[in-house]
Amino acid sequence: MPPITSALGLDTKAVVEERSQALIRGIDHIGPTHVLWLPSSTLKGVIDHVEQRAREGAYASIPLTREEEGIGIAGGLVLGGAKPILVVQDNGLGNALTALTTFAQPYHLPLLMIVSQRGGLNEYNSMIHTLTERVDDIVAAADLRSFKLDERVPAERWATSVVAAWEHAAMTHRPVILLCNLLY
Amino acid sequence: MQPALLTRYRALEAIAAELPEEPVVVALGTMVRELLLVTGRRDHHLYVLDSMGLPAAIGLGIALSPAAKHHDKVVVIEGDGGLLMGFSTLVTIGLLKPEKLLLVVLDNGAYAATGMQRTAAPAVNLRAAAQACGIDAYDVATIDDLQAVLRGTRGIPGPVLLRVAIGPENRQAPYFLPDPVDLTLSFQRYLAGPATSAR
Repeated sequence: MPPITSALGLDTKAVVEERSQALIRGIDHIGPTHVLWLPSSTLKGVIDHVEQRAREGAYASIPLTREEEGIGIAGGLVLGGAKPILVVQDNGLGNALTALTTFAQPYHLPLLMIVSQRGGLNEYNSMIHTLTERVDDIVAAADLRSFKLDERVPAERWATSVVAAWEHAAMTHRPVILLCNLLY
Repeated sequence: MQPALLTRYRALEAIAAELPEEPVVVALGTMVRELLLVTGRRDHHLYVLDSMGLPAAIGLGIALSPAAKHHDKVVVIEGDGGLLMGFSTLVTIGLLKPEKLLLVVLDNGAYAATGMQRTAAPAVNLRAAAQACGIDAYDVATIDDLQAVLRGTRGIPGPVLLRVAIGPENRQAPYFLPDPVDLTLSFQRYLAGPATSAR
């Protein structure tokens, strides 16, 4: 991943790494039974960790074919007493909207979706903003509960926020989307 | 003379009779409404009231969950249109190979609930597609064959896809408009308990 603002002294790679480690700490603290994921280049460290933990037997790691499939599988897992977490990027959130609003939400299924937010400042892919810069509005219009992590949240609060988002989903019996901007 | 095609109603009767206690995820629309005609509302049936294309994924999740150990099979009853909408889930099922998953596809080549518009299913051999994903798959068109496969797969590790060719007949059935939360709670309670307990 090319650093964007390195000329001004910002080490984007280090920022992504620090926030990835915070997400990892949060996920592992929750203790999921299954982590279902679609990749994002900014989530590479998180997904590599999930795959490693799955090899160690900590939980199952499930690569998805589409985001809405993840809502279906995770919903089934919740119905059967498991504790899944979804890790995806916001550029694919549109795929999940119908499943979220017709299944997870009305059937009161607590799901935590850790969603990497792309397309903003420090983004290096010029094509990724077309959907992603509208994701906040889309999520709000769909009446999906979301929280945001970006540089306005101190790094030391990222891991605790991941855990709190899971607890909020469980407590309010619905999907919760944690929009995580690892670049800004 | 060609034998008459199975009706959805007759196929559902056979499935309900052969799998009287297994958790069943039922696809929206005509499938839900005709199953209600056959069995009435059952706690072990999860009625997916919308979310077209999702039942196979939901069944996959249940089959991977701790509750699966209480049940011989986790059943999904899907149509051909719904299966095609979530077709890539066949790949994930093939990857994860949940042993208890039984995916029954009632294939009439049409979207029944919206007016019998044609689907793309005639262009694909669903059995071969499932097999290519690593899923044990069968193709039946008679009630005897349907019953035989349902009995034959009992106690045998899956996953299994069973395509059932059905005709175009739809029964008149009332809309089913419950609060989905109620469906969740009753189905969750069923899933959690041993299949042999009184319900």
